[in-house]
Amino acid sequence: MDVIGNLLAGFQTALGLHNIYLCFIGCLFGTMVGVLPGIGPLVGISLLIPATYGIDATGAIIMLAGIYYGAMYGGSTTSILMNIPGESASVITCVDGYQMTQKGRGGAALFISAWGSFVGGNLSILGLMILAPLLANFATRFGPPEIFAVLMLAFILLGSLGSGSFFKTMPMIFLGMFLGTVGMDPLTGNFRFTHGVKDLYDGIGFVPVAMGAFGIGEILTVTEESLVRVIHKVRMRELLPTREELRASWGPIFRGSGLGFLIGILPGSAHVLSSFVSYAVEKKVSSHSEEFGTGRIEGVAGPETANNAATGGAMIPFLGIGIPTGPATAVMMIALMIHGIRPGPLFISEQPQIFWGLIASMYIGNVILLILNLPLVGIFINLLRVPFRILFPLVLIICLVGTYSVSSSTFDLLILLGSGVFGYIFRKLKYDLAPFILALIIGPLLEVSLRQSLMRSDGSFSIFWNSPISLTLLGVSSLLFVWNLITTLKPKSTWKKVLEQE
Amino acid sequence: MLKFLYFDNTCLKREVAMKSFRIFGGIICFLLGLAALAGGAEYPARPITLINPMPPGGTLDLQSRAFASVAEKIIGQPMVVVNKSGATGMVGGVAGATAAPDGYTLTVGSVNLTNAIEWEIANGRKPPFTRHDFISICSFTLSPTLLIVNPDSPWKTLGDFLKDAKARPGQIAFCSGGLYGMSHLPIEIFARAAGLKFRHVPYSGGGPCISAVVGKHVDFAMQYPPTSLPLIRGGKLKALAVVGKERLKSAPDIPCMKDAGIDAEYYGWVGIMAPKKTPQPIVEKLREVAKKVCSDKSFIDLIEKPGDEVNLLIGDEFAKYWDQESQKIGKVQAELAKEAAKK
Repeated sequence: MDVIGNLLAGFQTALGLHNIYLCFIGCLFGTMVGVLPGIGPLVGISLLIPATYGIDATGAIIMLAGIYYGAMYGGSTTSILMNIPGESASVITCVDGYQMTQKGRGGAALFISAWGSFVGGNLSILGLMILAPLLANFATRFGPPEIFAVLMLAFILLGSLGSGSFFKTMPMIFLGMFLGTVGMDPLTGNFRFTHGVKDLYDGIGFVPVAMGAFGIGEILTVTEESLVRVIHKVRMRELLPTREELRASWGPIFRGSGLGFLIGILPGSAHVLSSFVSYAVEKKVSSHSEEFGTGRIEGVAGPETANNAATGGAMIPFLGIGIPTGPATAVMMIALMIHGIRPGPLFISEQPQIFWGLIASMYIGNVILLILNLPLVGIFINLLRVPFRILFPLVLIICLVGTYSVSSSTFDLLILLGSGVFGYIFRKLKYDLAPFILALIIGPLLEVSLRQSLMRSDGSFSIFWNSPISLTLLGVSSLLFVWNLITTLKPKSTWKKVLEQE
Repeated sequence: MLKFLYFDNTCLKREVAMKSFRIFGGIICFLLGLAALAGGAEYPARPITLINPMPPGGTLDLQSRAFASVAEKIIGQPMVVVNKSGATGMVGGVAGATAAPDGYTLTVGSVNLTNAIEWEIANGRKPPFTRHDFISICSFTLSPTLLIVNPDSPWKTLGDFLKDAKARPGQIAFCSGGLYGMSHLPIEIFARAAGLKFRHVPYSGGGPCISAVVGKHVDFAMQYPPTSLPLIRGGKLKALAVVGKERLKSAPDIPCMKDAGIDAEYYGWVGIMAPKKTPQPIVEKLREVAKKVCSDKSFIDLIEKPGDEVNLLIGDEFAKYWDQESQKIGKVQAELAKEAAKK
């Protein structure tokens, strides 16, 4: 096989001392970017591009890619320990990850998250390596109608995301979708619900909202009780997952790898979507689905694997034909262009040393990240020993600095704090925040893809069934919807069980 | 002198000591004052902030960082790029226009600002700032777009395309990377110059827009050479024309609009601006720096390797270009605003 020969040559490139060093720097920086709330991989890569001016193209892309997938490793840390999403793809990890910390299983959650990231990362590189040229062309077949169908399917899957009742989940979804419409309508240029406030022209960013609703809301909640709270002492045994936890996470890790990789190929907010979808799928297939939201390891393993696997998928259209489908890959492409390399359909055949060097370095980077992150579990978990009166003001400052450093906008700080109060109130009222955040992210994408399709077809809905991809996906969505309806209307079997037991 | 201080009379001694202290102090103050004056003449004495009104990532961000990285070597002070994004560049633009006019806060401008300002005017709103709130230092790129289509499309030449577009007004669909933005306006200008009508599907960003042409979700688009040339070479796209007066140096086989007798021009530019009341000596100094940056090999590499070209317009040349461009774009935006209002 050609692949093996090329890969060996790639390892020759990637194992050069210089490139290993760059890979390490990228992974380290990526982990930091992931851990720090607010600053995501996009900002991290953009900031380090000037540092690559003096490096060759291969070294530069090795380092920048390291930041990209490294950030997916680090993102889970604050989600699990403090209920603050480290970056957008780790929002859903907060739900069960933080509950695990509350139960004293935070170390295990971090461990599994690193392990899942490692497996997902490697499997997706494998996919990238073998399928890149094939799938790159497939990715361009996803136009507005196909994207609409994918999002529709995701939305129906996610209807079951909340742990609360239907009547508490739906208002949150609608509220999220409503807030998603604020700002300039990308298809007409009209301003919606901005009331002349210039800072709202670009809409409400979901990163400050998610950080506020989860993180600051949590701080506010904890301050009610922290004075009498006993600080949790972490024993070594608790750092490692139990055999049961390990067994429970194998399924989610493999499913997450597949889902993440496939969703990663699609244009748009692939990482966020992949983590949410993985969570929803795990909840659907689990025999303990009612326990999701109370600290199930599957709720951490699946999403954290999926967002890492999505990096491999997202690099397919970028490396395969030179079309970046997300902002992070777009920046990496520009970085390559600065070095005179212009990724296009001929990239892999004309620049094999860069492509295979990068692939090999990603395998190495994943090993580095695993080695880097497992001992970090022990260090990070000690954060829980810091008294709340010191830890939480510190966390608040990190949230504020993280938010401000991205856009230098004081308005985003207000959104952060406002969402904190909002998160606190709705938590008290026992509403779920995850469906709200998700609707805020997916709502605008769904709306735009629907309207783009209809603009293309001049208002005819036939565009949705003329494409075999969208027809299939919409068919599956309808079946799922009907099935959901039946299971919801049927008397709750779980209640029956409970009653029978009593 | 020292002996003088050892006089027995302690009172005198103290007095003399005081006096010499005062004189010494005076000299220090004088020297400090001189240094401060000299510092004023020796602009820049501290780091310069370069406001980029667009978020991190993207060509504009990279080109401004490239400019800053070379400029700081020339001026001997750090030049820090700060992304102040929001409202399609308006937030950062306001911050740059209202900054202290001391040469320590500069703004990165691009054709995006013209688009946004003229769109506000076209809709009868007062833009928060205009080009008159700035003094032009320089613009350093001026790149045309390419009319790109799918290689499987029936059009082999611009002529085929024009003929078909005439026959089917409003049927052929194009995409842009954003409404009223730098890949939408060239198409509107072209459509007006050639007397054609198309159907518009706005996308979010250049990448998704190119992908839509490759995936045959729309019929054509206009995109910039750095991102489209590799795909043209790889056979995923076909370029029918350069939207401008001249052919590209890097791809001379693609005809330009002028070859077909169509007067359609639109260029993406990136430039540096200072607030309106910046003192003339500082402006002159900055223009000197800009000239040096644009002839610097490492800067040219950073711009040209990705496929763009360094095209320096200094001071008034740039201001004049900006005026002409604003008028042209303003006219198109006014028509677009009227159409949008009808819907």
